[in-house]
Amino acid sequence: MKVTWGAYGGQAAVIRLGLPPKVLDTDALSETEAVELDRLVAAVAPAAGEERPGRARDAMSYTITVEDGGRSTTLTRSDATMSPAFAALLGWLEEHFARQ
Amino acid sequence: MTCHFNCIIPPHLLEKLLRSDDSEVRQAALDTLMTTSRLRGERGVRASFVGSAAAPGGGRRTVFDCKHSTSLPSAVFARSEDGPESVDVSANRAFDGLGATRDFYKAVFNRDSIDGRGMRLTAFVHYDKRYNNAFWDGHQMVFGDGDGKMFSDFTGSVDVIGHELAHGVTENTAGLEYHNQSGALNESMSDVFGSLVKQWSLKQSADEADWLIGPEIFTPGIDADALRSMKAPGHAYDNDLFGKDPQPDNMENYIKLPDNEMGDFGGVHFNSGIPNKAFYLTAVRVGGFAWEAPGLIWYESLKASHAETQFQEFANTTYRKAAELFGDDSAEQLAVLAAWQDVGIQISGILAGVARARSLAADRSGGTGGENGLATVSQQIGALAAQVTGLAKDVTALKSK
Ligand SMILES: [Zn+2]
Repeated sequence: MKVTWGAYGGQAAVIRLGLPPKVLDTDALSETEAVELDRLVAAVAPAAGEERPGRARDAMSYTITVEDGGRSTTLTRSDATMSPAFAALLGWLEEHFARQ
Repeated sequence: MTCHFNCIIPPHLLEKLLRSDDSEVRQAALDTLMTTSRLRGERGVRASFVGSAAAPGGGRRTVFDCKHSTSLPSAVFARSEDGPESVDVSANRAFDGLGATRDFYKAVFNRDSIDGRGMRLTAFVHYDKRYNNAFWDGHQMVFGDGDGKMFSDFTGSVDVIGHELAHGVTENTAGLEYHNQSGALNESMSDVFGSLVKQWSLKQSADEADWLIGPEIFTPGIDADALRSMKAPGHAYDNDLFGKDPQPDNMENYIKLPDNEMGDFGGVHFNSGIPNKAFYLTAVRVGGFAWEAPGLIWYESLKASHAETQFQEFANTTYRKAAELFGDDSAEQLAVLAAWQDVGIQISGILAGVARARSLAADRSGGTGGENGLATVSQQIGALAAQVTGLAKDVTALKSK
């Protein structure tokens, strides 16, 4: 499984647009980490799709793409619309990235 | 007369009497205050008196601490209008920024908070971990601490706080749709009024102001002036990490991006550089404090705009409002005309040649030189007109009470 994620928009939208998305391959994870990531992905999967930010301004948007066995699912949420499950997955990915 | 005041008078009435035009009434009120303070103990009376005098009309502030979570409902209380200072620097800075912005709208445009009806101001600090942003969620403000590598605490720039709250003002007035040109105008309004909050707080003239948005939010190691420069869009930074600031300052370089999250909804934070530059040029041509004539023209134009207003229509509106407020062919109106022309937007109905001749005339008499007596007089008239407008609004507000 491969997970690609990026952040867009916000006050620093102009700067952020030049930054590449982050990638994580589950092959590079330990057994425990891979299980944990699977659990987090499963928790958000039913809510796939896109949500407009509504009345929020300068909120950041996040896209998480999960590629697994030829299937690809993309989720887009913003600061103003993300569910606790989405926040948990994003937080885990960012934590993992920061530790690398 | 004094005897009438020897009974217990409510502090709010005393306060009113202390401001009376009649010196006898003022003295009597003061006497009463002294008498009652002796009776009741000075500290208690002074507290109630000061309390009523300083009671804000609206826009009461509350700050919450997210404790690095993304969940606003689970944030904990940090500071309120009447409570003590917080031990948290970010909470206090957010609180002060909300206050500066609220006071700016009240003092300059006689606007009671964000919605004009005393709306409460709520801010959340320490949102998420390493969060490089500040946003307006449609009702309240949210600040991140920055990642500490590129960005530091977003409460550090009062123009950023003013920027976010201006989104609330725009939402309550024109309601500019947040994509493409109307979205870039929405962004520009936030930069204009965000910068004006800072300039007003520091009492800086258009010449003295830095015209930067977010100069404090980068870590010391980052070679960048700010997030955006209204004076020089496209020149806020140029470094290996961020690349070069891509903001255009002219319609010729308008950036077309996809109208979705990844395209910044058609580049709203990019193309705002064009109207930002037009405001800056207007302000330096008019001279003096940018929140006076230029700010008033922009504020009135924002109120006269609607959800789908594009650059051209907004430019036309500022030109019309400048005439309504300061007169046809006033220095202010010519400054507006020249400013839009310099960013590649011709005011509708004005021939390019005429506009150029008029703007040259405006340059000669108004902005750059500043030695011309006529220009000074017209600036003073402009400032007076702004004051008269403010007074007229005060009167209207009083009548409606
Ligand atoms: Zn904004």
